[in-house]
Amino acid sequence: MQNDSIFVLLADDDEDDRLFFKEAFSNIKIKTIVKTVDDGVELMNYLTQTGNKLPNILFLDLNMPRKSGMECLKEIKKLEHLNDVAIAIYSTSASEQDIEDTFVKGANVYIKKPHDFATLRNLLEEVITINWHYQTSGLNRDGFLLSL
Amino acid sequence: MLLFISGISYKHSNSLETSTELLVHSYKIQIQLEQLLSYLKDAETGQRGYIITHDSVFLIPYFNGREKVNKSFDILKNLTAKQPKQQTNLEQLRNLIDIRFIRLSNSLTILSGEEKNLLLGENMLEGNEIMNAIRLQIDQMIQLEISYFNNHQTKYNRDISFTPFITLILLLFTLIIFILAFLKINKDLNVLKNSNEELLISAESIKHAEIIGKFCIAIWNLQTDKLIYSDNLYRLLGCEPHSFEPSIENFLKFVHPDDRNIVSNGVEKIAIKHATYSRFYRVIRKDGHERFFSSMGKFIDNSENSTHISVIKDVTQEHLNNLTLQDKNRELEQSNKELASFNQIASHDLQEPLRKIQTFISIIAENEMSGLSDFGRNYFERIQTSVARMRKLIDDLLLFSRTNKIDKNFEESDLNLLLKNTLQDLSEAIVEKRAHIESDQLPVLKVIPFQIQQLFQNLLSNSLKYSNPIVDLLIKIECERIIAKDYPILDSAADNIYYKIAVTDNGQGFEQQYAEQIFTIFKRLHTSAEYPGTGIGLSICKKIVENHSGFIFAEGKPEIGAIFTVFLPA
Repeated sequence: MQNDSIFVLLADDDEDDRLFFKEAFSNIKIKTIVKTVDDGVELMNYLTQTGNKLPNILFLDLNMPRKSGMECLKEIKKLEHLNDVAIAIYSTSASEQDIEDTFVKGANVYIKKPHDFATLRNLLEEVITINWHYQTSGLNRDGFLLSL
Repeated sequence: MLLFISGISYKHSNSLETSTELLVHSYKIQIQLEQLLSYLKDAETGQRGYIITHDSVFLIPYFNGREKVNKSFDILKNLTAKQPKQQTNLEQLRNLIDIRFIRLSNSLTILSGEEKNLLLGENMLEGNEIMNAIRLQIDQMIQLEISYFNNHQTKYNRDISFTPFITLILLLFTLIIFILAFLKINKDLNVLKNSNEELLISAESIKHAEIIGKFCIAIWNLQTDKLIYSDNLYRLLGCEPHSFEPSIENFLKFVHPDDRNIVSNGVEKIAIKHATYSRFYRVIRKDGHERFFSSMGKFIDNSENSTHISVIKDVTQEHLNNLTLQDKNRELEQSNKELASFNQIASHDLQEPLRKIQTFISIIAENEMSGLSDFGRNYFERIQTSVARMRKLIDDLLLFSRTNKIDKNFEESDLNLLLKNTLQDLSEAIVEKRAHIESDQLPVLKVIPFQIQQLFQNLLSNSLKYSNPIVDLLIKIECERIIAKDYPILDSAADNIYYKIAVTDNGQGFEQQYAEQIFTIFKRLHTSAEYPGTGIGLSICKKIVENHSGFIFAEGKPEIGAIFTVFLPA
C-alpha cells in the first residue's frame, strides 16, 4: 500500500451502492485505495483486528442488517485507536433525526446518497479533499450535511 | 290589641263603679245628716215635752236622741273620712251640737232652780239661735254634698254617655285591626301559596329531569344520620319508589360485589373527612341487569347541620358509548399507524431502488449516450423524464407525510425572517421569471417555523410557476390583523383575532369553480406536459395551515391572477 494514497473504507450492505462507490472513486484523479465491507459486524471485526490498516476516512451506511451504522459509530467512538479516523455517514435517508443523532455521536460529515452518478463522484471527491483537521476540530453543525 | 281593649273596658267600668259608689256615698251622708237633725229635734221635742209636763217619759227621747246623735256622728265621721272639707264642717257641727246639748242640759238645771221662767226663756232663745246655726250648718253640709253629688252625677252621666261611644270606637278600631290583620295574613298566605306552587313545580321539574337525565339524589344529614332517597333512585335500581328503607347498607346490596369497596370507601370519606367525592361503580338492578353509576357529592354546611347531597347518575349509555369510541379510536390509531408505515414505504423504501435506477441511467447517459441511435436516445430521455417525475412524486409525498407529523414544535417565529429564507431559496426562479415581490411587515407568531417556510415556498413557487408570460410577474404579500366575526368565511373559527396574509399574483389565475379542488392532494388543473407537478404542493399548504388552526382560501380569475389567503390565529 502506498503511503500517499488515501485509504477509504465503506460499510454498506447494498451491493449496487458498493459498486457505485468503487466506480465513482475510480473516476477521481486523487489516489485512493477503496475497501468495502458488507455490514456493521464485518466492519467492526476489521477495525478491531490488530495489524489491519486503519482507513483515513470511513464511509458508514446507517441502515444495515446485524449491526447498524449508528451502533458502529457508538462503538468506534469508544475505541481510542480509531480516534483519527474521519467518519462520513453515507445514507439514503437524510431525516433530521438521523442527522442530529449522528452529529451528536461524533460523525464528521453526512452525505445523502445522490440520484445521479456525476453528483456522487463530485460529493466523494469533495469529502476526501476536505481539510479534516479543520472539520474534526470544530463542532460545526452547519457544514455537517454535505451537499453540492 | 285585645288586651288593650279589655284594659280600656275594665278601666272604664271601674270608673263607672267608682262613680256609682260616690253617688251612694253622697246619699248616705245626706241621709245621715238629715237623721242627725231629726235626732236633735227629737231630743229637743222630748226636752220641751218634759219642761212643759215635767213628765219624765219625755226625757227618754231626749237621752236617746243624745245617744243617736253621737252614733250618727261616728257614722258621718267614717263616711267623710276622705273629705277634709266635710270633716271641718262636721267638727263645727259637733261644736254647735255640743253647745246645743249644754243649753238643753242647762234648761233642765234651770228647771229645778229659781227664776226658772226668766232663765228658761233666755236659755231657749239662745238654744233656738244655736239650733238655727246647726240647721244652717247642716244645710251647708247637705248643699256641699249635693254639689258633690251633682259633680258626681255630671261625671257619672258623662261617663255613661261616653261608654257606648268609646265601646263603638273600640269596636270599630278592633274591626279595622282585624281587617288589616286579615288582609296581611291573606297576603302572606298568597305569597306562601305562590312559593309553595313554585316549590311544587321545582320539585316536579327535578323529578322529571331525574327520569329523563337518568339521575337521582340522595340527601344525607350527617347529624341525624337520616338518609332521603329521591324516587328515581329506586327506579334506577329497578325497584318501586320507597320499596326499601333508605340506608347505605340497603344501597350497597345493589352495588356490584367487586365495586362495594369503592362505594363504602366513598361513604367513609364523607362521614369522617367531610370530603366530597366522585365515584364510578357498577350496580346490579333488581332485574339482574348490570348498570354503570357515577356519584358526585356536595356538602351543604350550616351552623347546626351538615348535609351531604349525592347526585347519582346512570352512565351506562355514556360508558358504553365511551367504550365504543375507545375501540374506534384504537382502530383509527391502528389505521393511522398503517398509513404512516405505508408513507414510510412509499416515500422512503421506494426511494432506494429509484435512486439506483437514476444512478444507473446517469452512468449510461454519461458513458453510452453517444453509442445510441436517435430512436434509442429519444426513449432513453423519456425514461429519464419519467424517473425524474417519480422522484418528485416520492419527495413530495414524503414532505406531505412529514407535514402530517403529530409532534409539532411551536416556536415564536418572525414570519419576515421565514419569508426572507424562502425568497433566498427561490432566488433563482425569481430572477428567471423576472418577478417582483412586495411584502407588508409580517407578525411574529407562535408557529412551526419550517412548516410556515414551506407554506411560503409552496405559495410563491405556485405563483412563479403559473405566471403569465405576457406581463411581468408581480407578487404582493399583504398582511393585516382582523377580527374573525368580520369574516363570514371564518364562521367556524375557534379564535377571535387572526392575521390575514394574502398572496396575490397577476399570473394565469384559474376558474373560481376549482377554488376548493386545488387543495386536494394529486388534484391538478394542468397536464404534466404543460406544467410539471405532482398536485401535492397546495395540499401541503392546506395541511400546514390546518396544523396551525388556521384557514386557507383561494380566489382565481383566468388570465388575471390568483389570491391565496391564509388566516393564522394571532
